[in-house]
Amino acid sequence: MKKHAGRWYGGVLILLCITILVALMAGTTWISLGQLGRTVGAPASRDFTTVFSLRVPRILSSLICGGSLAVAGALFQAVFRNPIADPSILGISSAADFFKLGGAMLIPWLPGRSWVMAILGGLVALMILTSGKALSNPYRLIIVGVALDATFVGLQQLLSSGATQVSQSTFNAMTWADTTILLILGVSGLFVALILAPWANYLKLPDDALRNVGIPVSVLRWSLLLLATYLATSVTAIVGTIPFVGIVVPNVARRLVGHDYQTLLPFSMLAGAWLMLAADTLGRTVIVPSEISAATMMAIIGGPFVIILLQRGRVLHGMSTH
Amino acid sequence: MECQHISYQYPQQSTGLVDLSGHFPEGQVTTIIGPNGAGKSTLLNVLARRLQPQQGKVLVGGKDSYDLSDRQFAQQVALVTQQHELFDELTVREVVATGRLPYHGLLSQVPPAEVDPYLEVNGLTNLADDLIQNLSGGQQQRVWLAAALAQEPRVLLLDEPTTYLDVHYQQALMAQLRELASRGMTVIQVLHDINQAFRISDWLWLLQDGQLIKCGTPAELRTAPLLAQTFKTAVEIVEVPKLGPYIVQLPE
Repeated sequence: MKKHAGRWYGGVLILLCITILVALMAGTTWISLGQLGRTVGAPASRDFTTVFSLRVPRILSSLICGGSLAVAGALFQAVFRNPIADPSILGISSAADFFKLGGAMLIPWLPGRSWVMAILGGLVALMILTSGKALSNPYRLIIVGVALDATFVGLQQLLSSGATQVSQSTFNAMTWADTTILLILGVSGLFVALILAPWANYLKLPDDALRNVGIPVSVLRWSLLLLATYLATSVTAIVGTIPFVGIVVPNVARRLVGHDYQTLLPFSMLAGAWLMLAADTLGRTVIVPSEISAATMMAIIGGPFVIILLQRGRVLHGMSTH
Repeated sequence: MECQHISYQYPQQSTGLVDLSGHFPEGQVTTIIGPNGAGKSTLLNVLARRLQPQQGKVLVGGKDSYDLSDRQFAQQVALVTQQHELFDELTVREVVATGRLPYHGLLSQVPPAEVDPYLEVNGLTNLADDLIQNLSGGQQQRVWLAAALAQEPRVLLLDEPTTYLDVHYQQALMAQLRELASRGMTVIQVLHDINQAFRISDWLWLLQDGQLIKCGTPAELRTAPLLAQTFKTAVEIVEVPKLGPYIVQLPE
């Protein structure tokens, strides 16, 4: 744990509170702090509907999605031992998206279809990534991931070209029903992630060294992979693919609070939640009454970040800062 | 520790181990010596359960090593290899703490007090919070040794432990291994330097082409014809004042 980790935790918590307040106030209609206070006691008012039926579910959804994606990214990085591993870049999110769309066309009657199909898609992508030789080399893993992503995006476009239903990765029009599902999926997954954080630390050591001390490496690796896939595809199931959160947040977090996953995962959770809410709030306020989706915002922020990360000479193999 | 008719064959390679049987005396330092490709490291990996022999078994405390769970085995046998590749930042304390994992649940924390003694014994207390990546090769070696000792093993296996050490640390390490053996630990190592091997060992295994040529005390194995034949080079044993017998390789 770094010296100033406590301060950074405080900082991100303060930012989170401020952003939540701003997100409650800002939008097509501006609701001031005073008005916000009054709406709580006036359930019949129009502002109450705006805040509690539109803004609160949207805010909660962004928070939980941001936290889930950031933690999923950190876990993929730990398991694949690769600093730019992330559900979007590895094709796991787009596979989930494609399966979700396929499910909507083929088995529209199935309850919980989106989530079942999304996690199925994520698992298919994971199987492809972990079979064969993709794991033998960090560059190969990313190239296979990018190819997988392009394939599933292409397949999805193929399916959706004839359909009216096009999946949009946005928090617009999030209902309380969607938000509740997200909360249940996300909070349970994040809770498990915090418990399993020491395992991510163990995977900093080579497999041989872990076997020497009697650690079942495969059990650790697969538990964390399945957990990360669960977190990432839960977001895809309800919202869609949102790129780069899983790369940007953990990599910045390592600089701020250090490389210990027991510190890093909770921080990534908070910082991811903040980043997603900030991106979404910005996206829906800059060009009122229209809006930019969170996925677009993240692509604009995250793309350059990854380029800078790699251009500055950091090796892909392992996560040393040297 | 004991080997019973161990045979190990690498896929598509001629080298391996052929029907090795012999024992490693408890509480003594045994060194495995032999020319390159004799199977020294292979044998060490078999003993450490990293390679499973096609035939025969390794007994640890009288039990077949494969009858033990991973965790039980790790409480009995520890291995110090040459350099490890790390994938992320780890502090010295974190690395040494991994040696305590065989005694804890997978999700529980290793208490710092359990790690401290092993840091201290290996002179690492001041380096505890440093990143292992920033240490010299010799210091890193000490960290891995400390982690292995934290396993409190009955058998300590070391693969070329002196490779990254200067002469001073080589001597210090050998003194430490002798100390551990005197307290009952069975130490088994692979060394290239045969003079060092003869000097510090109680027991030697001489391998050639995957076969055990002879095992015995240094005095029993220190014969020029035997060494000349095994290492395929002319050898003479000379007496050096203050040092004792010294094996010299003669020019062809």
